[in-house]
Amino acid sequence: MAAAIDGVLPEHLQELVKNSKVLVVGAGGIGCEVLKNLVLSGFVNIEIIDLDTIDLSNLNRQFLFHREHVGKSKAKVARESALSFNPDAKITAYHDSVTSTDYGVNFFKKFDVVLSALDNRAARNHVNRMCLNADVPLIESGTSGYNGQVELIKRGLTQCYECTPKAKQRTFPGCTIRNTPSEPIHCIVWAKHLFNQLFGESVEDEDISPDAADPEAQEGDAEGTEIPAGDGAGDGKEKSASESANGNVVRINTRQWAKDCNYDASKLFNKFFFEDINYLLRMSNLWKSRKAPVPVQWDTLLPKGIPDGDSLPEFARQFHKVWSVEECAQIFSNSLRQLSNDFLKLDNNDSLVWDKDDQAAMDFVAACANVRSHIFNIERKSRFEIKSMAGNIIPAIATTNAITAGISVLRAFSVLEGKFDQCKAVYARLRLNPRNQFLVPDKFFPEPNPNCYVCASDPAITLRIDTKRVHIKEFRDEVLIKTLNMVNPDVTLESTGSIIISSEEGETECNEQKLLSDMNIVDGVILKSDDFFQNYELSIIISHFDAERDDPLFEVIADKSQLQPKEEEEEKPEPSEKLVSRKRAANGNGESVEKCDDGPSTSKRSRPTEIEDDDDDDCLILEDPEDDVVEATDKLTVESPPKTATKRKPSDVVESDEITTILDSSDEEESRPTKCKRSRLEKSEGTGSIEIINID
Amino acid sequence: MAMEMDSAPNEVGVELTDTENELYDRQIRLWGLESQKRLRTAKVLISGLNGLGAEITKNIILSGVNLVKLHDDKLVTEEDFCSQFLSAREKIGTNRAEASLDRARALNPMVEISADTQPLKDMGAEYFGQFDVIVVSGENNAELLRIDSICRELGVKFFATDVWGMFGFYFASLQTHRYVENIIKHKIISKPNEKQKTEIISTPVQFEVEYPAYSTWLDFDINAPSYQRKIKRNGPGIVLLRILQEFRDVNKRDPSFKTREADINKLKKIRDGIASKSTITDDAIGMLFAQVSPAAAVVGGVVSQEIIKVVTKMEAPHRNLFIFDPETCVGYVEPIGVN
Repeated sequence: MAAAIDGVLPEHLQELVKNSKVLVVGAGGIGCEVLKNLVLSGFVNIEIIDLDTIDLSNLNRQFLFHREHVGKSKAKVARESALSFNPDAKITAYHDSVTSTDYGVNFFKKFDVVLSALDNRAARNHVNRMCLNADVPLIESGTSGYNGQVELIKRGLTQCYECTPKAKQRTFPGCTIRNTPSEPIHCIVWAKHLFNQLFGESVEDEDISPDAADPEAQEGDAEGTEIPAGDGAGDGKEKSASESANGNVVRINTRQWAKDCNYDASKLFNKFFFEDINYLLRMSNLWKSRKAPVPVQWDTLLPKGIPDGDSLPEFARQFHKVWSVEECAQIFSNSLRQLSNDFLKLDNNDSLVWDKDDQAAMDFVAACANVRSHIFNIERKSRFEIKSMAGNIIPAIATTNAITAGISVLRAFSVLEGKFDQCKAVYARLRLNPRNQFLVPDKFFPEPNPNCYVCASDPAITLRIDTKRVHIKEFRDEVLIKTLNMVNPDVTLESTGSIIISSEEGETECNEQKLLSDMNIVDGVILKSDDFFQNYELSIIISHFDAERDDPLFEVIADKSQLQPKEEEEEKPEPSEKLVSRKRAANGNGESVEKCDDGPSTSKRSRPTEIEDDDDDDCLILEDPEDDVVEATDKLTVESPPKTATKRKPSDVVESDEITTILDSSDEEESRPTKCKRSRLEKSEGTGSIEIINID
Repeated sequence: MAMEMDSAPNEVGVELTDTENELYDRQIRLWGLESQKRLRTAKVLISGLNGLGAEITKNIILSGVNLVKLHDDKLVTEEDFCSQFLSAREKIGTNRAEASLDRARALNPMVEISADTQPLKDMGAEYFGQFDVIVVSGENNAELLRIDSICRELGVKFFATDVWGMFGFYFASLQTHRYVENIIKHKIISKPNEKQKTEIISTPVQFEVEYPAYSTWLDFDINAPSYQRKIKRNGPGIVLLRILQEFRDVNKRDPSFKTREADINKLKKIRDGIASKSTITDDAIGMLFAQVSPAAAVVGGVVSQEIIKVVTKMEAPHRNLFIFDPETCVGYVEPIGVN
């Protein structure tokens, strides 16, 4: 307890440490380290919040937890362990989601500094907005493998977390998943959908049957007429399957059909990997420029059937081995039996939740993905590799977390001392930069983005959206909540003030199933969106477009200049960024995210599938330090904007005449793979020292 | 020296158990199965169970090495509460290595952990030869020189490291070290008439690098005119390290919070003897007492990662003097005695 012992710290710092109130958001890899550093430094008033519980795979780095703590609340166990280091500390632990309405602006205002050690973008965005609102300095941190990052976010002085667009999640069009996979990940996404179709929460979007409405299959296709148009195709297929299963011509869904045939491994296998593939082959247009899939049949694969015995074959535990198709079929059978048993034990309408750490669920996805890969002539992967991709696991080690958390708390010292100009972002890297550094501070604060849709004055975005295909409910859930991270938004038409979406339950339910265009939300219309809890108002300018086969149904554009037509860009490896996001936890429910370990998931046809987050660690957006940009630190003189108790008025956010503009000296910008990127990222790309971060 | 390899480095025979696979899952996904197997055979001596030693101990035990020996002949004092989280408060007055055993073992039951308490100066080649890597903190230069020369004869990898307040360093004396680094290249996979498309190819390449002895740092002239430009660029950390090591050699102890003002004056005196006031500010000298936890975490994290690189023979250990400047949070490497 450095601050408890006179003479260790300089006197002024000692007093600040003893008397400041600190909030730690997240008790994972970085959070554990931060909490240890705080109590040992002599901080007394500490609160920590985390909704997660402890998992065995956390223990290689989250050192406040031991084997006997598996399954317990991270925040609470972290508190206990930290108290054993310093019994004089007063630590309040919340086993809860930080996005819960229990933690409003007034909660955040209690603290002198907030240290965030989160693992997902949704929560980071939320904490960013709360700290901007409460005008509390936020020290944001994250790690991924050997890379770490610490940055100060302070209203009016620095960029906010949302000033720079983060790399988009990798998305896959529904047609690719259902009809024309070409990479292992496509088959893995499909396999997870299959799991959900059979046992999971029934998700309409996650269809796994051939998609006959695929525009590519129909254009000028002589056989096109044979294929029933629209969604009827999949159903037609299932009908025939159910005919062969029980001679019945009732239209039933895949889940019911599988149940009706008692989860017979050979029947299910043949439907998914033989009949459905034959159906796809009939969509001959698809295979004119692609290698056609080769269906596989249960009986030819396993002429002798499954070897007897309940015990798993030896290869089933060889996670690093690439299973043969025959082995996959055996695993399919074993895991199917296990999952169907589990499923049938559930109450009606209850469902299983896919979890990468559940043996059978993971086995099932690995086996199905590999069989499908085999069919489409795609490289098969080991169960270990598939788990990385299906669970979107970010590698995490103790050392990077320790380094990052150490820097985070050192920055907290400087923040408390009011030395904000010292708190430039710091990056930890595996290899040296040209200046022989691997802990690399930025040279200046990148200026706040004047077009930021969170911290700019009068924030606005342009929303490219297919107004003829997106319903109000999807607009609310997918755009406002999932993409723009609002919690409970109200939306009105700017011109008339009429209410489109209300945060009050039941008020606008009648609108939910209407298309945007039905509500006169068409090209050029401006919507006003307001999230009362986050104290966040946003104008949304609608820009209509007709989505093509592989297009997402909407795209958020924070900067209008991005609307200009651009030269088409090739798919390139992601630059030095990796993003992770995660579904928002239900308010106040500590367990909800624990269960919603969501990997890839698709949505409606032609709405791309997103790779969602990992469950686990402190993952972040990695940006490279800007090394060769002109130094302008000395010119940055910023006074704290006046505190306001109510909504942030535009003028409070950026006192623009007090901030000297920092010129971007880098003019070697290359074309970007992602569509909306701005100053900061572009600058860092000019440095030429980008590390490719390979997550799997 | 670098050479492309025909195949993966020699595999270490033993398979990991299911529990190990699960426990180490997130790190195996970073450094691979082979590295984890190498870690499992490694024996590490950590001498000096101060806050920095505790940090290194934690990280190394978590990584899943075979054996960790904790060594210290000093006792737990009040000062240790600033960063030494492995010893409980009630262990004050007992041996620091022994006081750390319980919590160290709780971090990972799969690692063999024990403590030694005899003075380091009584230990010779027989003792040091039991380990693959030795990391020492809190010793004076003469003792560090002695251990380093024994280690170099034995082929044991040696690190000297310390934290004073919020400032820290390490020196790596790894003799001839061989390691593999994945060199990433972009390969063009599109046909000439198509728009260019590239694929990332990662090729393991083996390197062999010489790491000079600790004596090169003691012989290094920080006042050489050729070196002043570098000090200006990366900060005066290297000068501060000289001052602190001289303080330790002269006073047979480190600056103490109990005699803060007097020790600040002593430090200033040493500074004025070897550098100018502008190089090392009085503010910086006020931050050199005890070991402050976040700084110990940073330096301990860096040293541990270097030990892991050495053991797994993956990636280049930084050569060879590391300096952490707490004010800017820059961490850089100064090649000492390297051409």
